[in-house]
Amino acid sequence: MSKQAPGVRIDGLTVVYKTTAGELPAVRDVSLTLEPGSITGIVGESGSGKSTLALSLLNAVQPPGRISAGSVEIDGLGDVVGLRGEQLRKARGKHIGYVFQAAQNSLNPLKTVGKQLLDLGRSHGVEDLRGLVREARELLGRMGLDGARVLDSHQHELSGGMRQRVGIMLALVLNAHVVVLDEPTTALDMITQANILKIVREVHAERGLTTLVITHDIGVVAEVADRLAVMYGGRLVEQGPTREVLGSPRHPYTKGLIRAIPRLVGDIDEAQALPGRPPTLATVPKQGCVFRERCALRMDVCDDVDPEAVLQGTRTVACHAVTVKEHA
Amino acid sequence: MITGTGVVKTFKQRGKVLGARDVQALRGVDFAIPKGGAASFIGESGCGKTTLGRIIAGLETYDEGEVAIDGVAMSGLKPKERQPHFRKIQMIHQDPYSALNPTRTIHQTLHAPLSLRARQTGRSRSWIEERAAEVLSLVGLDPGSVLARYPHQLSGGMRQRVVIARALTVDPEMLVADEAVSMIDVSLRLGILALLKDLRERLGVSVLFITHDVATARYIGDDGELYVIYRGQVVERGSVDTVIADPVHPYTQSLLSAIPVLHGLEQPGEQPVVPLESLDESRSDEGCLFARRCPFRADRCESERPLLQITGGVPQEHACFHPERRSVIARPLSEV
Repeated sequence: MSKQAPGVRIDGLTVVYKTTAGELPAVRDVSLTLEPGSITGIVGESGSGKSTLALSLLNAVQPPGRISAGSVEIDGLGDVVGLRGEQLRKARGKHIGYVFQAAQNSLNPLKTVGKQLLDLGRSHGVEDLRGLVREARELLGRMGLDGARVLDSHQHELSGGMRQRVGIMLALVLNAHVVVLDEPTTALDMITQANILKIVREVHAERGLTTLVITHDIGVVAEVADRLAVMYGGRLVEQGPTREVLGSPRHPYTKGLIRAIPRLVGDIDEAQALPGRPPTLATVPKQGCVFRERCALRMDVCDDVDPEAVLQGTRTVACHAVTVKEHA
Repeated sequence: MITGTGVVKTFKQRGKVLGARDVQALRGVDFAIPKGGAASFIGESGCGKTTLGRIIAGLETYDEGEVAIDGVAMSGLKPKERQPHFRKIQMIHQDPYSALNPTRTIHQTLHAPLSLRARQTGRSRSWIEERAAEVLSLVGLDPGSVLARYPHQLSGGMRQRVVIARALTVDPEMLVADEAVSMIDVSLRLGILALLKDLRERLGVSVLFITHDVATARYIGDDGELYVIYRGQVVERGSVDTVIADPVHPYTQSLLSAIPVLHGLEQPGEQPVVPLESLDESRSDEGCLFARRCPFRADRCESERPLLQITGGVPQEHACFHPERRSVIARPLSEV
């Protein structure tokens, strides 16, 4: 059953939302490759476009939003942006599993988990429903839960950490090999978070998945992801191997974000707040660099020209100041 | 100064049809927060830290024990008599989106408590306007641009600043911040934390910080005390840096071990502690409350409850029969 983990190539993706001020881009010209078998983490604040980007992988951006340009190629499936109707419905769940933000609230409160599992199976035309239940029980057992008991439970009988694991089970049970986790540990406390992250890592390795984790918490990415991508104002500003990006961030936003994390040891005042505030859909500058308002390295060119994402070794950075420095 | 001795709170479950049990939210907690000082309560959700914060802010009653504000015991007072004491303690809630009335401008929001305050202290109308501008400046907002706005026109970080400004209108001596930054954007969080720290230094307001994020607790005041709470009991208590750097209770060690390591910047601790099972409140209360989850439990732990005290040659108080220092937190690579 273990097929090769598929790769995902997002190319030039732009997603716009229709507002009274016209169509505004929530995600602008983003290119990102998820290597087969890797865990990629996308970090961003609210309004950075990270959740919209994740929904694009399912081609599930809801009106008034729409994907206006670009493609999302998934091995064995093709360009998701081109899929419609029945094809698209089948791809979701079977090829791409999605664990929603606040899995706490994404279960049906009126049905047991088991009933919801059967609904999922039927809607995807699974013939061997017994097999599906067996698979679900195994997965839950793998995550340290009593599978039979959980399947017989309603959501209110489960704790936050248990619901999150049910969410992961539902995303994987149809044997999807691309998995998107949107804020998998928000609203969980530290010990539960550490548990869930461990499970994500282990299940990822055992089942040969390609995983995308969306979060606002750099710590979460640092724990699980091989690669880290940083989003700001709808743009991907920096990406590279997690350890390298954390160890020597290049984009001024990545630097500021890392410096704003209070630490457990060392000088307290080393943590410095990032001035200004993140842009919203309405306040993202239409031209030039999206980060310039808060940037210490701002130059004249930043006002007019949006910096291109430049690949340097293993790292991609979209910043004029960084590019200038490296060519000087 | 606010002190508590043996504070007990039990939430009674109504209708025991489904075998519902009473919940022991607090099982005899002692605390002391000096004027201008800082203290942090940390623990998992459901440990009782929020209940304790609410009791301190006068928003919740307690069943046994005593809470005293500046030496005055609260339990003997009628609700009306308590009010002026609890005025000194103001709460900052987690969610700045629901803590402000969406139909009122910031001016209106600040005006109500200020006019009450003006009446109490016999001040004039013009004082109200001056003071409104003053508290907004104190929290780093520009009164001119903020006063006329509604909450929805402000960002999360600005709203939380308004909430803090509103708390300052009644000249509090202590702010109780319950997960006050967890809903705020990462790049803005530190700004709010720095503000609380700054208010401590400039106004001498003490800060009680309730959180599950130990690093933010440290940022507010490394001169303060850290209370680690587990199932309604304080299991470790000491100065922030002692408890973080040299925790001795296995529960504290589990909490600190669970903090994500920033690989590339930090190296994980050498002796991480992982609880044997997840929190299950329905488990028996006999013996040490943490025994079932504790990887180091011994026979004695199952039958006898350890009390919070200083033993075993460590500087902090702890409730463990076998306190042992373990290196659990991540260290910066630059120090290794």
